[in-house]
Amino acid sequence: MEPTIEPGQTIQPAGARPQKKVLCIEDERFIGELYQRALRKGGYDATLEVDGAKGLEMAQTDIYDIILLDLMIPNVTGIEILRTLRDPAKTPHFKGKIIITTNLEQREDVREDIEKQADGYIVKAELTPNELVEFLDNIA
Amino acid sequence: MASKNSDYLSRTKHQYFGVVLFALLSASLILTAAWVAATYYLNISSKLYIGLIVFGTAIILSWVLALVLSKRLIEPVKALWQLIIHITPNGGLPPPNIDSLKIGHELVADLSAQVLQLTATANKQSQTPISDINHNFIANNMPLPLFILDNQETVIFANVHAGEYIGLNPKDIIGKNFYMIMDMSFPSENTLDKWLKEAKGTAATSVMSWDRVRLNVLDNHPTRLFDLAAYYNKDNPQYMETLIVLFDHTKQYSQDDQAVSFIALSVHELRTPLTLLRGYIEALTSEFKDSADPELQEFMLKMNATAQQLTVFVNNILNVARVDNDQLQLKLHEESWGEIVLSAVNAIGLRAKVRGITIESNIAPNLPTVGVDRLSIYEVINNLLDNAIKYSGTSNVIKVDTHLSREGLVETTVQDFGLGINPAIMPNLFTKFYRDHRNRSQIGGTGLGLYLSKAIISAHGGNIWVRSEQGKGSTFGFTILPYAQLAAELKNSDNKEIVRGAHGWIKNHSMYRR
Repeated sequence: MEPTIEPGQTIQPAGARPQKKVLCIEDERFIGELYQRALRKGGYDATLEVDGAKGLEMAQTDIYDIILLDLMIPNVTGIEILRTLRDPAKTPHFKGKIIITTNLEQREDVREDIEKQADGYIVKAELTPNELVEFLDNIA
Repeated sequence: MASKNSDYLSRTKHQYFGVVLFALLSASLILTAAWVAATYYLNISSKLYIGLIVFGTAIILSWVLALVLSKRLIEPVKALWQLIIHITPNGGLPPPNIDSLKIGHELVADLSAQVLQLTATANKQSQTPISDINHNFIANNMPLPLFILDNQETVIFANVHAGEYIGLNPKDIIGKNFYMIMDMSFPSENTLDKWLKEAKGTAATSVMSWDRVRLNVLDNHPTRLFDLAAYYNKDNPQYMETLIVLFDHTKQYSQDDQAVSFIALSVHELRTPLTLLRGYIEALTSEFKDSADPELQEFMLKMNATAQQLTVFVNNILNVARVDNDQLQLKLHEESWGEIVLSAVNAIGLRAKVRGITIESNIAPNLPTVGVDRLSIYEVINNLLDNAIKYSGTSNVIKVDTHLSREGLVETTVQDFGLGINPAIMPNLFTKFYRDHRNRSQIGGTGLGLYLSKAIISAHGGNIWVRSEQGKGSTFGFTILPYAQLAAELKNSDNKEIVRGAHGWIKNHSMYRR
């Protein structure tokens, strides 16, 4: 599937608005680095974390506007992180957006369930890093 | 209630002795008075021993009299009382022993016998009392695992099959909390637990079923995958509030899961390097776009187009596996068709460009909205365009046209002016892995695209066709339904979408509602 850029979409230049903080929880370090690079070029303050448990802790203690969340990550899975962040009893102050970034294909019903809780669901192979940044520009 | 009743039973014993004592005392008083009166008025020489004999006889006579009287009076009353308590719900007393009733109480005995018989018939006809569920033929012998829970989700009945199925002795199940003995995973957030809570809050009765429930078992017990059906009834007088039946599909579901999960894992492994390749190609392209020489820039474009093509192919593999396992689910929504076609054409633009091909699209104005699954239909257009590019040969134009057919369907055609297809192989074109042999060495491809496209179009309720002339090119066309026509299918339903499997059947959409 090719990504689509909607006609009439505007991409604001970097610096035209307060810099948004993005936490990228991604265990494939090379992919994480590509994302971090593209995000920084796109005007985001991007942090990379390869470990699920650490990523969850960061998301719970620091304030992020957007979390890019891989599902297959070590120690704490992406689904567990998603549920914890969406549970007001466990993470009362979390107000950010959560974008699932995965290459693992889920069963339809599972995927639907994840999509309901997240603000976006992206198959990594279908978007280049720059297209991911454009996607974030549109939802943020 | 029961203790009150047994109190009453022992009290009647006291009353019984009271009557005897009372009769005894009154009889001996009367007789003694008679004896005193007789000796005084009739002037009979009074001898003390005669008096004592008379007194003793009086005692014995009165005892017998009192015994008979009290038995005759109290026993039938007691029997009737015990009978009434027995037939009251939760009465807690055994039925009276009719045989113990003496001659003269046939009326009470008959009455008791008839009441007992009526009660037994009524019980059989209405609900089986809880004490009898263990002897219920159907519950015990139904060849499906059956559980009955009370209002605290405690198991109050489990048949033999339930025990066997989860690997526990039925005795170890009864009295336990259902969720403690059944650690289940549901495919979605709508779990048994959640439904039951809702049902308890709102409904008097409710029925629900779940597909593909997994029982999380200990290592030494085999995996269980099943469908689960539950019935809830708030006012069941026997506290049999929730009834749960399991339908085992372990073999079928685990095979499906293994087939798809093998593919899903392989696809994951393919996609990770693909993501990286596309990322690096993009970074290099933008970094060197002004400096590198034109030939290198063209290489970059070709690399990018190839990576995109690989992404589509990887998705095809995944979707073919889904079609074959009946796991491709389409969610048909109202969409603007022209917009979908144009964005698909736009996305494949790079691949066409690196081969020097122009795609001309012609979208008829005023097309009705269509009912499609956006992602799947996009892949159909993508596959047809990809084929057109592959088989274009030396021609450099592809035409995409979409219009309303005479039957009122939305028809889309993709036309190339290239190699064309040998008529001999036309009938097999939409079969899996089928490709034109003569072209195999020159043109890449797996024969998955058209097979998948046909499955997706069929599931949309449309048709796919091909017209080709060797040496002049091929036209692939397909039809899809305007949304209004699909919506008619939903006229009597409050669902906003239609869920379909790849072979055209409509799923129970309420379970997939968003």
